[in-house]
Amino acid sequence: MSIDVAGKRERLTAAPSRPRTARRHRLRPEQRRSRLAAWTAVTVIGLFGLLPVYWLVITALTPDDRAFQIRPDLFPREITLGHFTKLAENEELFGYLVNSVIVSVVTSVLSVLVSAYMAYSFSKFRYRGRRSLMHMVLASQMFPQALLLVTLYAVFSATGLLNTYLALVLSFTTFTLPLCVWMLKGIFDTIPDALVEAASIDGASRWRTLHVVVLPLAAPGLVAAGLFAFVRSWNDFIFALTLTGSGKQTLPPGLVHTYLGEFQTAWPDLMAASFVVSIPVVAAFMVLQRHLVGGLAAGAVKG
Amino acid sequence: MTTLGRARPPRGGRLSDRGFAWLLLAPGLAMFAAIIIYPLVSALATGFFEQSLVRPGRSFVGLANFREALAGEFWPILGRTLEFTLGATVLPFLLGLALALALNSGIRGSGVLRGLFLFPWVIPGVVVSFLWMWIFNANYGVLNGVLTRMGLIDAGISWLGRTDTAMLAVIITKTWASFPWMMVMLLAGLQTVPRELHEAAAVDGAGAIRRFRSVTWPHLRGIAAIVFLLEFIWNFQHFDTIYVLTGGGPAGATKTFAVAVYDTAFKGFDLGRATALGALWMVLLLGIVAVYLRAERKGAS
Repeated sequence: MSIDVAGKRERLTAAPSRPRTARRHRLRPEQRRSRLAAWTAVTVIGLFGLLPVYWLVITALTPDDRAFQIRPDLFPREITLGHFTKLAENEELFGYLVNSVIVSVVTSVLSVLVSAYMAYSFSKFRYRGRRSLMHMVLASQMFPQALLLVTLYAVFSATGLLNTYLALVLSFTTFTLPLCVWMLKGIFDTIPDALVEAASIDGASRWRTLHVVVLPLAAPGLVAAGLFAFVRSWNDFIFALTLTGSGKQTLPPGLVHTYLGEFQTAWPDLMAASFVVSIPVVAAFMVLQRHLVGGLAAGAVKG
Repeated sequence: MTTLGRARPPRGGRLSDRGFAWLLLAPGLAMFAAIIIYPLVSALATGFFEQSLVRPGRSFVGLANFREALAGEFWPILGRTLEFTLGATVLPFLLGLALALALNSGIRGSGVLRGLFLFPWVIPGVVVSFLWMWIFNANYGVLNGVLTRMGLIDAGISWLGRTDTAMLAVIITKTWASFPWMMVMLLAGLQTVPRELHEAAAVDGAGAIRRFRSVTWPHLRGIAAIVFLLEFIWNFQHFDTIYVLTGGGPAGATKTFAVAVYDTAFKGFDLGRATALGALWMVLLLGIVAVYLRAERKGAS
């Protein structure tokens, strides 16, 4: 992808700076107008963007009888942690959580391993077909997943892989690869070829050079790629819904099965569960802030 | 990974550089072939057969599946897919652009605000759907609650249950989940616009709109085209939000290609029909991807 990952990152981490003196001067009317327009946009879009998040948290803390009102309280009058404790006692949900953790962790490790090899090959070697392959990897995330799923289901069914962790890990890894490969290629590109050559002159084999010299240098990038893969598998809904049944299902389809389709959904319980499911992803995102733009550019966590 | 171990060359390397480069690619390419290429090719072939998802065996029916699809469901589904895709791309683009321009204008705390605004984009897609389902709830939803308080409506509206509001509700939900991504990308683009150019234009008496058109937009156009098209491509095949919120209903009002292909295969068990519809969908998608790749190349140069 043409977007320059490293360059973008630097530009974004440096907050838009404006000469300090500008603030000390009194604003011209024209500047005051544009500042007013800016704050109006931030406020309006901010209400749209953040009120739903507020509502999620508030509902999760509201007792049932207060949550189910024709005119719900916009500010809580009563607060309870009951929905969260109920969540902790739910064994079925705990099973989904364990599945999510297993699948996401294994996917992350496998994604980093496979994509690091691919990215290293793309970054440091020149051979025929390299560019076309790179484009294929990039384009593969644009194929419609619902269509792939139809035959993937048949393939996994024929090979007995339906309802296994392996089915999820294999398909998730394939979908995290494009992003991870492009991220890591950007990072390997910044490692000077001279360093790799120096290692080989010192007598290190190509495998040793890769594992002992290059990968440690790229460690922060490997962590970022791993977190992206984690988030991608943690969030997936459609593959986990279809390829696994209740025993091996992850949280997103698990929550649908647990809460939706009942006569009356237990909304405060569902919001509490939603809150908990979001925590690892939000945490991963906070660690990832620095790498965010490059990742976003290369195709994003949410495909 | 055992194949890699076995192929480890002796010091000095019997394996050529090219061989080594391909060896590194092998595990990844094998996975792509097994999980994407083979299923895709097989899906396209299945469209020519009458085949059930649950029973073995199939019979060749030629173009019948395609003909039936084109005579019936294809066009309404295309219409709804385009409606969803356009709405869920244009709205977040406009919101993201407005927000990026605002945050780039040097207001205080823009770094913190940028981080806060990313929340809707970060939380899992299924959670996004649950949350908005609750907001849109006909009886106890906060949207109806607020509208009733303001005296705008008398009784709760079943936003997701009415054919005339369901698509709008789905689009709003998806807009909420994707405008932050637009904001970050466009903000990155805006930071390539030289500030001096802006100030010079301001000194020359150019108003805000004039400056946007003549200074900002030419710099932003490349990245704007890329994020717009990428979001368009994703929305064209988007599944999660629609499936959880409405399941394609009510009465098919939000049934896009993704939902239709999924339902035909996994609820109707009609594999031939599902893949024929999927193949038509895929051709359209490839057309859009081709436009994207051209824009991307232009944006790069």
